[in-house]
Amino acid sequence: MSWRKLNRWIHRELGFLFFGMTIIYGISGIALNHSVARHWNPGLITKATSIQYPGTLQKADVDRATIEKILELTGEKENYKQYYFPNEDHLMIYLKGGHITVDLPTGSMQLTKIRNRPVFQELNYLHYNKPKKLWTWFSDLYALGLVLIAISGLFLIKGRKGITGRGGILTIIGILIPLALLIVYLWL
Amino acid sequence: MQRSILWVLIAFLAVSCNQTVNKEGDNQEASKTEQIISATIVELLAAPADYQDKEVAVSGMVTHVCKHGGQKCFIVADDGETQIRIVPGGDIDEFKVEMEGSTIAFKGTFRVQTAVLAEEQLEDYESKEHHEEEQSHSSAEKAEYFLEAVDFKEVTQ
Repeated sequence: MSWRKLNRWIHRELGFLFFGMTIIYGISGIALNHSVARHWNPGLITKATSIQYPGTLQKADVDRATIEKILELTGEKENYKQYYFPNEDHLMIYLKGGHITVDLPTGSMQLTKIRNRPVFQELNYLHYNKPKKLWTWFSDLYALGLVLIAISGLFLIKGRKGITGRGGILTIIGILIPLALLIVYLWL
Repeated sequence: MQRSILWVLIAFLAVSCNQTVNKEGDNQEASKTEQIISATIVELLAAPADYQDKEVAVSGMVTHVCKHGGQKCFIVADDGETQIRIVPGGDIDEFKVEMEGSTIAFKGTFRVQTAVLAEEQLEDYESKEHHEEEQSHSSAEKAEYFLEAVDFKEVTQ
């Protein structure tokens, strides 16, 4: 078998084998990028609703009956956990799957429901290597496979469109972009 | 092609078996018994030097869990005001947001930050979760004391 044939074989077989892993790391990579940049939280879905308490409240007046009334108004009686006062003007009622924040002087309440974001939560679980154990080894194998796929990809085509032609220029551009951004953000 | 896939699987299983041996070693290490001091949050913060780097057990209602990765949470003392920061240690990867509003008993090492640790924590505070407004846990977030938890258990809900 010539080295070019072997190269194509490596690229094709590893490409098939690690298709699923590339999708997992690609999608969760975008999610984590934006999580770090604080654009959104890929692991959680948060929904906030504003509700008005009839009247105003004072910390000293809040008792179990007040809590019951708030839970009834928000329809969260079944989900009640505990409450506490973050400060003199606010009451926080914890629920299974969220919380209610009450602004005591105005009586304005915010019901926040929090739930896990399907798919992304699972993908991030894998991307962050939370399972450890076997996943560490399989993802290491994938990373090694990705390096081999990249290197073998350089030599798939001969001639004008290959590494000695347009392919080479694109490869250099792909190396220079992260290098330039690294210089700008880290060293300048 | 079939042969090459077989080699990949054999290599994968060989590495996995080696990992099982390491895990047994870790378990033996974890089985060492240590003296654990039970304390309240107020007691810990009143005399931090007495508890520094010691194994302590402390409990309180979880007021906040960091939504960006669950790498810290805060529990409030019975006075409803004093809070302490808890960070995951040992086998704990993260704290779940579901813990908010639950009373949790934590076991771990009480840490008083050194200058190096304080700097790392400040970076973490600025990069991971930064609230626009001052929160009830903000002072505990920036405090030099925290608990590095290795185990926790829900007391009530």
